Amino acid sequence: MRRDVTVTVADSHAGRLDDLVGRLTRAGMEVTQVLSTLGVITGSVDDAQLPALAVVPGVGAVEPQTRVQLPPPDADVQ
Amino acid sequence: MSTGPGEQEAQTTGRSVVAFGDDVGGSRDLIGETLRSIAGIANVVLASDHRAGAPEPDAAAGAEAIVFDTLGVALVAREPSALAASISSAGAPGAAIVAVEPERVMHAIAVEDTVAAAQFADDDAFTWGLRATAVDASSATGRANRGAILDTGLDFKHPDFAERSVTARSFVAELSARDGQGHGTHCTGTACGSPAPPTGRRYGIAPEAEIFAGKGLDDTGAGTDESILAGIEWAITNGCRIISMSLGADIVSTAYETVGRRALAAGTLIVAAAGNNARRASGERGFVGVPANSPSIMAVAAVDADLRVADFSAGDNPVEGGQIDLAGAGGDVHSSWPLPQRNNTISGTSMATPHVAGIAAPWSQRADARGQALWDALMQGARSLDLPPADIGAGPVQAPD
Repeated sequence: MRRDVTVTVADSHAGRLDDLVGRLTRAGMEVTQVLSTLGVITGSVDDAQLPALAVVPGVGAVEPQTRVQLPPPDADVQ
Repeated sequence: MSTGPGEQEAQTTGRSVVAFGDDVGGSRDLIGETLRSIAGIANVVLASDHRAGAPEPDAAAGAEAIVFDTLGVALVAREPSALAASISSAGAPGAAIVAVEPERVMHAIAVEDTVAAAQFADDDAFTWGLRATAVDASSATGRANRGAILDTGLDFKHPDFAERSVTARSFVAELSARDGQGHGTHCTGTACGSPAPPTGRRYGIAPEAEIFAGKGLDDTGAGTDESILAGIEWAITNGCRIISMSLGADIVSTAYETVGRRALAAGTLIVAAAGNNARRASGERGFVGVPANSPSIMAVAAVDADLRVADFSAGDNPVEGGQIDLAGAGGDVHSSWPLPQRNNTISGTSMATPHVAGIAAPWSQRADARGQALWDALMQGARSLDLPPADIGAGPVQAPD
């Protein structure tokens, strides 16, 4: 199954995102956003490739993307 | 720590507090050498030799002097008058020691300093939330401060925002930044709405702040990290000092903690809703969710108009950063709503959050503070209540005078 993921770049690689994007792509990730100020890269990957992604040098953490959902606009508590 | 009337008889310990001049104060060697040469004090303990920064009581017990070298201060086991005499007879350079004072006995600040709960209500001039957070008595407007609201967008045609500087961007595919839900317009109204709305009471806190409206949630109120993180990056690169996020999920995340830390370092404070998963009347305290449960993201709880913890307002959770930091007005909050309705009154930690974000703008304006300094100013300015910090943190946020 394909999964949307958020990759947090390790502090040690904060200034070298281009290299990391190449390594992530080769490890099977389809990169959709490179947020260089935050040091975060988003995209998607097959479940089978997740372990390989986590050990790419420069990766601090790989997490499945969170989904948030507000209550409907007519709810009392928002 | 002022000495007010009736405190002239403050107890002293017989020891002296010595303040060193700037030339000496930063150097442990120079402080030690100064104490040895002028007062013959050899048994000196350096606070910075201890891991926690303060010497353990046992190690400090036999010392003649404890040097807090990062503060440029030493606690010396000599009577102040005797020590002052030694200094003067040694002819010590005037700049080395700037003050010798008696050490006073300190007492914990008494509970009377906390304010008893009060009742607030909307009136003709202000919402209860602006009364309870002292916005009604503040002259600060948040002028020249950029603040971002990452939410469902904004109703640009709403009269509250027609004359305002608004920069908007959508991070949701195939949708403009227009608010088709209402939540984002309500939160923006609280944080940045008009000082004098054409009808009814004031609910806007920072009417001269520059609004950055980022649509990270679609018109059903749903969003993903993909869009929210992009909105945070956009706000930081645009120089926003504050990001208000009235959103969350019931999990913990490494990404948001790293993001909060990097944002603070870049001078941007992220404020987030603690969450509405408590049912206090049924004994459930709930727990702070992502992203508010990150140590570097400020978690905001909700109080009601009686300054009680709102029934739905999540309490702390045991993860690092899972504590509540501040509270805002979150029960029956009147604010902007997309036309034609114009206004709406709803409740939630989502409504408490823009009270904190809005009040951060005048604090930033007043103290020229950003990042961690802005965080500290907000925390120190909070109103102390006799309620558990696990539920309201430092207490309800307060505007500067």
